[in-house]
Amino acid sequence: MSTTTIELILDTASRIFSDNCDKSLLDSCERGGIPQDLWLLLKKNGFNQLGMDESGTSISDLYEFLIECGRYAVPMPISEILLMNLWFGDVGGISGIGELRDKKVFNVPHGMGISRVGVVAKGQKTVSLITDLEILESDYNLAGESRDVLDFRVEGEVSQATDPFAQMALTRVCLMAGCMQTVLNLGVQFASEREQFGRSISKFQAIQHNLAIVACEVAASRRAAEAAIDAWGDDRFVLEVAAAKSRVGEAAGLVAEQVHQIHGAMGFTQEHRLHHYTKRLWAWRDEWGNEFYWQSVLGEGVSKLGADSVWSFIATSS
Amino acid sequence: MIKFDRVKLDSKTEVLREKVREFLDNNPEHLQARNSDFVTGHDPDFSKKLGAEGWIGMTWPTELGGGGKTFFERYVVTEELLAAGAPVSAHWIADRQSGPLLLSFGSEEQKRKYVPAIARGESFFSIGMSEPDTGSDLASVRTTAKKEGDEYVINGTKIWTTDAHRNHFIICLVRTEDPTENRHAGLSQIIVDLKNDGASVRPIQNMAGGEDFNEVVFDGVRVPADRVVGEPGNGWSQVTSELAYERSGPERFLSSFRVFIELVRDCGLKPEPHQKAAIGKIASHLMTMRRMSISIASMLEEGKDVAHEAALVKELGNNFEKVLPEIARLAVPEESSVQFRQTFMDTLLLSPSFTLRGGTREIMRGVIARGLGIR
Repeated sequence: MSTTTIELILDTASRIFSDNCDKSLLDSCERGGIPQDLWLLLKKNGFNQLGMDESGTSISDLYEFLIECGRYAVPMPISEILLMNLWFGDVGGISGIGELRDKKVFNVPHGMGISRVGVVAKGQKTVSLITDLEILESDYNLAGESRDVLDFRVEGEVSQATDPFAQMALTRVCLMAGCMQTVLNLGVQFASEREQFGRSISKFQAIQHNLAIVACEVAASRRAAEAAIDAWGDDRFVLEVAAAKSRVGEAAGLVAEQVHQIHGAMGFTQEHRLHHYTKRLWAWRDEWGNEFYWQSVLGEGVSKLGADSVWSFIATSS
Repeated sequence: MIKFDRVKLDSKTEVLREKVREFLDNNPEHLQARNSDFVTGHDPDFSKKLGAEGWIGMTWPTELGGGGKTFFERYVVTEELLAAGAPVSAHWIADRQSGPLLLSFGSEEQKRKYVPAIARGESFFSIGMSEPDTGSDLASVRTTAKKEGDEYVINGTKIWTTDAHRNHFIICLVRTEDPTENRHAGLSQIIVDLKNDGASVRPIQNMAGGEDFNEVVFDGVRVPADRVVGEPGNGWSQVTSELAYERSGPERFLSSFRVFIELVRDCGLKPEPHQKAAIGKIASHLMTMRRMSISIASMLEEGKDVAHEAALVKELGNNFEKVLPEIARLAVPEESSVQFRQTFMDTLLLSPSFTLRGGTREIMRGVIARGLGIR
């Protein structure tokens, strides 16, 4: 990966998303289908190949791209599509990924409209493919993103993948890190434009301080996400993802809460676009392991080292 | 825009890290009362040993006794010392702030006179900023220095001055001209010799029982005119330029670190579920803040202005230093060890100072808001 490649990718992505992912698209995709035009546009620009060797991009580029997707709340299961293409090859269509629990596959986006699903379980190194999809329940997450429950009967092809559950968690880390940057920007913009008591509310110290707190969380989340991306291929990958998913998940709730408060009743309406981002933050922090799950993974890893090695562990985290 | 560069420490720094650890292993007598708070352990012998290793003034020019090293190398040394709970307070301010200030603004003579001794770990500095009526509103300082012939006569009182009763010099922010509409004009920084110039120093006991900070009274204290650092009247911009160094280092998030170590020790190799989560939560914050702090070291290395980023790291770090013992106390086994209880109590009693020293939480949030363009 050269710096210029990733900059070009992000630049193109940003242009496509800012032209297309507007309020009306987000509205229409809430509890709705996949935006086919946007998907075709992304394919035309080669984004379906992101992370694959033949495209000259790396898996890190893929995760960087997801930060950009998060910024625009791109209303399609882009993480699932890209990781499935990496694991099972690009067959041109849209694929899903779900989590296996009790012989059921949870959180599968658009089970109705796709032809293959990768099944991932906590702690497993393999992903199994299912192509004969039986939908047990059609459901949505808090943000109206499709999350179906599928039956897990016949196991198909199995692909070896490096810590697939952690990889899925990292997709949510990246999406959240990007998304909360937009939430902060919306907060700053609203506070600067909204006038009360004869001046913009951003001139009030209470508002300034709350936005400062949000800025801290957003900056920390960005740094945590980048660190986890950089740990790809390293022995510490799972623990770095654990740190990032815990830290960013914690930030997500705080950022959403504070910026809603700043927006007042206007941000509480369906008409304002803030909710498209905040609902995603609330949803994504719970997907692929919440804070408690990942804190426990990290805590177990740290405890095993023993008290006198804790510092070495922290100090190797760069 | 607030931005943290994505940097990694290079392998050269890891060799240095091993050297620091070896040094600490070889000096157990200095690590009796382990505490990661940078203010609480004043040990001139230890500082002198660090100076002999070349670990004070590491980034300064070699011709003035510095190490000519990078900010990354300095970063590694400081974080290793803090994590080990080493007594660093004697040289800390001189190394972090006074030295860089003198190198940026001091005269050639001042540099030669003060900087090599600081780097040797033999000369310790305090900062004279706060006054009885001046806390966060630093520009309101009233201590005056009036020029009489080739001397300045200083009158006024500085307060909360860390280690003024132990250190050799204090660099005071004083008013050298009468106040005008521009509150930031007419301020200067001036060096006072705490042992010889006649300032009277009275230690103030803190609520933890320690005597680290002081009241320093200047009643007609006379110092030679060449003790002014930089241009007379330029004090405000000099003081604000120090702050990036002051606010972003590992001492801003490691003050309660030893509590974490003792928590992990007490929870053992097979902790309960809630203990694992508590340990993981603390680790996730520390790992992230450390990276942000290293980002700033890199930006300092490149000579970038990091005022907003430094305030952000301090705000996050200081708040977490306070949260860490709170998480630990609820996670530690009921029958906790003496070491845990001692470290916990020491840290908790010091914790009110975390979000005060070096600029309060409220001031930090104001600086961050300015970085967001809303102030």
